[in-house]
Amino acid sequence: MGVTIQVEGLTKRFGSMTAVDAIDFAMEEHEFFSLVGPSGCGKTTTLRCVAGLETADEGRISIKGTTVYASAEQVDVPTHERAIGMVFQNYAVWPHMSVFHNVAYPLKLKRASRGDQERRVGHVLQMLGMELLGERKPSQLSGGQQQRVALGRALVGEPDVLLLDEPLSNLDAKLREHMRVELKRIQRDTGIPILYVTHDQLEALAMSDRIAVMSDGRIHQVASPVEIYERPATKFVLDFIGSVNYLPGEVQSATGDTVTLRVAGGATLTLPRPGFVPEAREVLLAVRPEDMVLGQSVTGSDLQAKVELRSFLGNLCEYRLSYQGHELRVQTEKDELVPEGSDVVVGVRRGYLLESTASQDPLARVS
Amino acid sequence: MTALRRLDSRLVFFVLIAAFVLVIVVYPLVQVLLRSLLVDGNWSLRNYESVFGRPRNYFALWNSVWVSLAATALATVIGTLAAFVVQRTDVPFKTVLRFVLILPFAIPPLFAAMGWVQLAGPVGLLTQAWKSLTGAATAPWTIYGAGGIIFVLGITKYPFVFITVAGALQRMDASLEEAARTAGAGTGRIMRDITLPLVRPAILGGALLAFVSCIDNFGIPAVLGLRVQFQVLTTRIYEALTIPDLPLATAMSMLLVVLAGVAVWLLGKFEGRSGEHAIIGGKSIRPHIIKLRAARPWVALALFALTILIVVLPVFALLVTAIQPYYGAPLNLETITTRNFEAVLNSSAAQRGIRNSLTLAPIAATILVIVTALLAYLNVKAKVRGAKLLDGIGMMPFALPGSVIGVGMILAWSNPPIGPTLYGTLWILLVAYLMRYMAYGLRSCRASLMQIHDSLEEAASTSGASRLRTMRDITLPLMRPGMIAAWVLIFMSAYHELTVSALIWSARNETVGVWIFVMQDSGFPGRASALAIAILPIILVMFMITQWLSADRSAI
Repeated sequence: MGVTIQVEGLTKRFGSMTAVDAIDFAMEEHEFFSLVGPSGCGKTTTLRCVAGLETADEGRISIKGTTVYASAEQVDVPTHERAIGMVFQNYAVWPHMSVFHNVAYPLKLKRASRGDQERRVGHVLQMLGMELLGERKPSQLSGGQQQRVALGRALVGEPDVLLLDEPLSNLDAKLREHMRVELKRIQRDTGIPILYVTHDQLEALAMSDRIAVMSDGRIHQVASPVEIYERPATKFVLDFIGSVNYLPGEVQSATGDTVTLRVAGGATLTLPRPGFVPEAREVLLAVRPEDMVLGQSVTGSDLQAKVELRSFLGNLCEYRLSYQGHELRVQTEKDELVPEGSDVVVGVRRGYLLESTASQDPLARVS
Repeated sequence: MTALRRLDSRLVFFVLIAAFVLVIVVYPLVQVLLRSLLVDGNWSLRNYESVFGRPRNYFALWNSVWVSLAATALATVIGTLAAFVVQRTDVPFKTVLRFVLILPFAIPPLFAAMGWVQLAGPVGLLTQAWKSLTGAATAPWTIYGAGGIIFVLGITKYPFVFITVAGALQRMDASLEEAARTAGAGTGRIMRDITLPLVRPAILGGALLAFVSCIDNFGIPAVLGLRVQFQVLTTRIYEALTIPDLPLATAMSMLLVVLAGVAVWLLGKFEGRSGEHAIIGGKSIRPHIIKLRAARPWVALALFALTILIVVLPVFALLVTAIQPYYGAPLNLETITTRNFEAVLNSSAAQRGIRNSLTLAPIAATILVIVTALLAYLNVKAKVRGAKLLDGIGMMPFALPGSVIGVGMILAWSNPPIGPTLYGTLWILLVAYLMRYMAYGLRSCRASLMQIHDSLEEAASTSGASRLRTMRDITLPLMRPGMIAAWVLIFMSAYHELTVSALIWSARNETVGVWIFVMQDSGFPGRASALAIAILPIILVMFMITQWLSADRSAI
């Protein structure tokens, strides 16, 4: 197993603003690796530094063992000499070239023979289901088709790594879902490593082998989707990936398996013991909406709440409950509809703990 | 290492272009400013005192202001009404109307003025028709003097207003009007409360462009004013240079600069303010269209009649004059003659004029397109520091009245500190056109480069293309329509240029515009008209190409 991309201490500043702040990560061979975070977190800047479209200020980047950027040795390989393929958010399909010529362009630059070009472009277009559209001009294509042209153009030269910058964000919801699956399939079939940038946490969870969650130019956590969701490292990751309810409380006791809390409003909850229990007694309990059950008691972990609002989501039902002045968001299966205005018992199955003094700190550790 | 080399080639281009802009634009302008303040090598305001000391001169200044304002008012009314009708009503033949309504741009102002003399002058076609209809001894109007100048300026400059207002109406987000409609406002109310305030910046912007173009104009006041001693600044500068009184012409040029400067400053303010209204939405929702019902054919007829009056009649008059044996001859088929065409086309001066214009215009267009495309690239794409400033300097002549450029050329190239004396040669005209039309190239190239999203070039670079290769394969092909449009526009404008050329031409170095004016001015309207009719087709074809190119580009 080799390393596809190795980034060490990468720093990029725009004027006085530090867009990327000394980040490190390493991408494995054949890996689908996502950088995810809100806009302005530095994920796109990181990707553009890897592509060489931005010149970093400090650090080192290597692709397949070749150093393409190193501030210490003053190495900066220009973009066109890096073995990459890239898909841009707005596709960037050249309007004055046909589909065929767009896709064939990287081969043309490598002086591939005409026959070779036709064979390889044909192969890529077939893989993308575009084999009949080669002569079309981009203006005659739908957004989804342009997206495929851009993808084909990035793939055709068999680069060491594919860089994707929010490629699905301009597509409508249905098409986005379809392309998500297709991208994953193409990645599996070709084995090409993908560095993927998105602000959409669902997209990242669905497609990636590993995810790096970024905010304010820093990486909070690098882990598999399941681990990111189940064991968020910081409060920011907890908030950004999925949604969460917060209840202040204090730790009453902790055993090897459980922790007992007295939360605001007077209820006592006994929950499975998380990874660690904060030392301070004052804590913040964080519970995912799907970790609560409505109208069902969970032994020793019940809250009495009132249904304020019910939203039917199709496969799920989401409730806004009021509990002693706190709003709780709960998701349940749709077959247990509870009417608005009724009093219900809410069972809490599990939760995360944070020190309550750290409630405003995105870097606060989550148990 | 590569980064260093990359920087160097850009720097070389930057230095070359900076030198070009300095020599072509800055040097003549500085000359005008300095010489207006110098008397026998000493700082003095005496040149300005001579402007304000003699009624002849300050009347010219005053006339320039009020005549241009009145003509602008006329142009604004015509342009705004026409734009509203074409964009917001169900008037038939919209595509044709949109085209014919901007046709006055294609007719050189000198031709329009000549045409109107031949229509409404003392022995003009309309005047004769009026006399024979009413039996009156004279017509109740006169085309010479302030009224005629205002009329002809107004009807030739209204497309400035029409284009900007129609554009703003087209880009306006229809939901803004729909919101007022759902709030209970009727059509008239919406126009008054929503639409008009939103397009007001466009109306004012178009009006200021028309104003600058009016004070810049020489052909119309020269043909319609000089004969009755009605002077404006541009004709007064022309007279001052025939005396020649260079210091006076220089001081008056500075006054023109101030006038145009005020207008452009106001324009900048209005354009800045129009940004406050987010009227440009990405979606093209069809705005509400007012149904004209019974008035529909009549409104269309009125607009067509207007354009016939403005475009077709003057050209028709030129044609009639060109084929008559003498000016004012009775109209009938027997007297039709090609004598004027033969006389003018066989004269060596006219032949030289055509040849010179056909040499200068393409050279100026080619040089400018190359230079401005490079400058626009350095400014928009390479973001070289200082390129933005150069771009700003290059845009200045856009607002500079032609007379100022003419005076600047004489001062700069009569006896330059280094380099050849261009005054008295054909090349001074070339340098003048380079200055005058630089802004046309810059605007077009800048706009087409800004439409090319950075990611299109970045995609080439991630595909493995070097910077030069990217320019060749991606940037240049995508810029080409804008460059061609700029070339044609510069060619067309330089081909019939008069304001500057009239000041700096010399014997044997005539241009076709100058020679038409000279013929008209020296009492050969037939020959002038014949020459005008002879070159009009090429101007019209060029104009059609510019229209076709811009329509093509907006379709992408």
